[in-house]
Amino acid sequence: MKKNKHYFGKFFMILSLIFFYLPIVFVVLFSFNSSKSLTAFKGFSMKWYEKIFTSSNMMEALTTTVLVAIVATFVSTVVGTLAAVGLSKSKKIVRDLVLYINDFPIMNPEIVTAIGLMLFFVTLGIERGLGTMMLAHIAFCIPYVILSIMPKIRSLDPNLADAAMDLGASPWQALTKVIVPEIAPGIFSGALIAFTMSFDDFVISYFVTGRGVKNLSIMIYTMSKRVNPTINAVSTLIVAVITAGLIIVNIMPIVKEKSEAKRRKKAEEAGLDPDNIEPNNDGMKKLMAAAVIAIVGVIAIIFHGNGKGEFEGQVLHIYMPGEYLGETTISDFENATGAKVVVDEFDSNEQMYIKVANGDKYDLLIPSDYMVERLMQEERLKPLDQSKLKCWDNILTDCTNLAYDPGNVYSVPYMWGTVGICYDKTKVSLEDLEKDGFGIFNDPKYKNQLYLYDSERDEFMVALKYLGYSMNTDDPKELKEAYEWLLDVAENMGAEIVTDEIIDNMAQGRLPLGLMYSGDATYVLAENEDMGYFMPESGTNIWVDAMVIPENAENTELAYEFINYISSYDAAYGISEYVGYTSPNEEVFDEMSSEGGLFYGIDSYVPRSGNPNDEVFHYNEDTRKIISEYWSKVKVAASNAK
Amino acid sequence: MKRFSQLAMPYIVWCVVLLLLPMLLIAFYSVTDDGNGIVSFSLTLRHFTKFFTDPDFLLILWRSLKIAFKTTVICVVLAYPVAYFISSNDDKTRNMLVLIITLPTWINMLVRTYAWVGLLSNDGLISKIFSALGIGSGELLYTEGAVLLGMVYNLIPFMILQINTSLCKMDKSLLEAASDLGANGFQTFWRVTFPLSLPGVISGISLVFLPAVSSFFIPKLLGGGKYFLIGNVIENQFITVGEWNFGSAISIIMAAVMMLSMYLVRKIEKVNAQGDRD
Repeated sequence: MKKNKHYFGKFFMILSLIFFYLPIVFVVLFSFNSSKSLTAFKGFSMKWYEKIFTSSNMMEALTTTVLVAIVATFVSTVVGTLAAVGLSKSKKIVRDLVLYINDFPIMNPEIVTAIGLMLFFVTLGIERGLGTMMLAHIAFCIPYVILSIMPKIRSLDPNLADAAMDLGASPWQALTKVIVPEIAPGIFSGALIAFTMSFDDFVISYFVTGRGVKNLSIMIYTMSKRVNPTINAVSTLIVAVITAGLIIVNIMPIVKEKSEAKRRKKAEEAGLDPDNIEPNNDGMKKLMAAAVIAIVGVIAIIFHGNGKGEFEGQVLHIYMPGEYLGETTISDFENATGAKVVVDEFDSNEQMYIKVANGDKYDLLIPSDYMVERLMQEERLKPLDQSKLKCWDNILTDCTNLAYDPGNVYSVPYMWGTVGICYDKTKVSLEDLEKDGFGIFNDPKYKNQLYLYDSERDEFMVALKYLGYSMNTDDPKELKEAYEWLLDVAENMGAEIVTDEIIDNMAQGRLPLGLMYSGDATYVLAENEDMGYFMPESGTNIWVDAMVIPENAENTELAYEFINYISSYDAAYGISEYVGYTSPNEEVFDEMSSEGGLFYGIDSYVPRSGNPNDEVFHYNEDTRKIISEYWSKVKVAASNAK
Repeated sequence: MKRFSQLAMPYIVWCVVLLLLPMLLIAFYSVTDDGNGIVSFSLTLRHFTKFFTDPDFLLILWRSLKIAFKTTVICVVLAYPVAYFISSNDDKTRNMLVLIITLPTWINMLVRTYAWVGLLSNDGLISKIFSALGIGSGELLYTEGAVLLGMVYNLIPFMILQINTSLCKMDKSLLEAASDLGANGFQTFWRVTFPLSLPGVISGISLVFLPAVSSFFIPKLLGGGKYFLIGNVIENQFITVGEWNFGSAISIIMAAVMMLSMYLVRKIEKVNAQGDRD
């Protein structure tokens, strides 16, 4: 009987170990995969590791994570220790009250702590960034430190400090020489918890950060929308460091014991009483030295400038959509100017707007047409100094002087294109598409086969165009009708509502139908020849994403430099080649789309012209509010549909 | 001893400013209207009414609670035998096993969740094994099952550790006493071991249930675009919709529901304990 139980337990133990370690083994294995695939191992390669070390973004995220973790651990351990000692001598009511508040971050869901801190920083007008991230980390680390020290203090003789002081110790000596050594194990484990909490934190950092400051978790979260084996490589490095760290921590006591034994022996040999000599602090000192060197090193990496140039030592803060730059766009600019570029990425224009409207400072934004219009109307943009722009000769007239910004007083086009239906030619018939237009999203034949794009304005464009209205309508009846149509789709079609995940999923042909920006479709079509791109006759949206300089920009000179750089042939080619979006640079556009060009024959690369139903978006605050409210209801309904 | 009590002063101030004030701000935002400004506001209960009168929001809250409940039950059922096995070993092996269980939790949660995307995807390892065994067809990724798996995977180590700790603390002589008094293996377990390990189970439940209710990146990564939980709704309100007041109201509602459920769990435990004594 007993034996049986043992086998059962062992079996369970082994099963659970497989369960725990399978994903980790998988991550490590696929970090060495030479192909991008996450399912088939194509051969050994170190290229994802090279990518980490050549990507300044990644290295910065790594240094931010380590720096924040070290500072948060240090501060929270010191403050937490003092607080715990102090509280143990405080009045009971004070102590209980403080410990009750202290429990907030532990008992509350992380997301509540996170939005609390975010509201706090925004309400007080503190600019979000590295500083707020550190404050937040210290705030949620201290409670854990206190929690792990308190039990040790309770088991301490309350008269210990008095005794020390009666014997002539100053309060400081009593604290550092008597109390702290007694509770050292609690302090140590508190520090360890603080470090891991800070190192791993995602939710709180995600809400309180700003201006492109990212830790590894945020970096991984933003990268995870696309298939990206670099994540595996970073993860493997983390696994390696943590394993090494744990081994050291577990071996250290053994080594210490041995050296202690040696010391005693030496002392005995020298004829001294081994208990009566100063303990050897070498190990501790070395550890401190190592920590100091690590901190200095991290700071040095963060502040070191690279290259030489006119803008040496300056920083350009850009806020733009994710996956929207060429491989070397930023590093080339940095090398040419000597400036440092910090790129912060957003999922949607609305997400960008919220941050900018709440005072986050950037030097350059890249919103879409209608959002440019909104920012203009709300006087959040600087008019461009045309004498500083050298780009207008290069730019296609198709995307200048459009209704959202007549005369391009505020904006310079970055990319342009259309919105259309990306479909699998082997599974969706062109006849259905021609017959239904956007109505194909509500065709029962394609139930559970489609993606909607999580963007209120694009989905309402689809509905309004299908119903034969203008996508810029402000008629509440038409909007309601569009909402009801979308609700019908959400409830009956089993659609997945996605953002950038759609790109790799469609390139792999996971589902055959989706609403997509022409630029993403170009990437998909180039990757998978079964895919096609369709624009309904009933009209679609012609859009432009443009560079603008916000009112509160700090480095406008550098922003102009960047705008001119982006509009140059080399930079424009590099971006268009890498992301597949259509360049407004005339030379690049002609070269890409003509015979022998990279995107020759790919329909989505050339925006349609001549269809009178195609429109450019206008901003209207009243309809935006209605649409926004409707769309969040549609999303909720879609997730409730079974 | 006054001098030592002053050591806590900086932290008391800190507590009020960085822990208490943010919570009060959430409460403030949840009952005010218009604008994220503190100067001009008007009181309202509109956001709470909006939540409670919309069946869609209630359904999402219900679904979040349901999946958190499932996660918790699975965690208890799977974690108990493992913890029991760990605690039955001698000190040295036990520490080793605990270390092995904790090691993965030191690795970033996002990383570990992301790993499952590859494993569960259409031609990934798990689907291959499943189809070789002839069980299950269709997609594994982007389903409720995938979200559930992600949650169990991320949270079960906490349950194992809590149960293990309480099993280790147990006075082993009680077991001998029980068998001396004629109880068989099952009776000993059910009447002695299990009740004594309950505090561990309870604290394990709070460590699993609470994060499961509010999680938003696990459903986002593993549930695809069609699996919305209450955490996603909150994130959405703050990051893309910009309705901070409504978002704050939902957070308050969620926190209240969670406090209530933890209170109920503790209450049930107390009643149980009393029942045993009677």
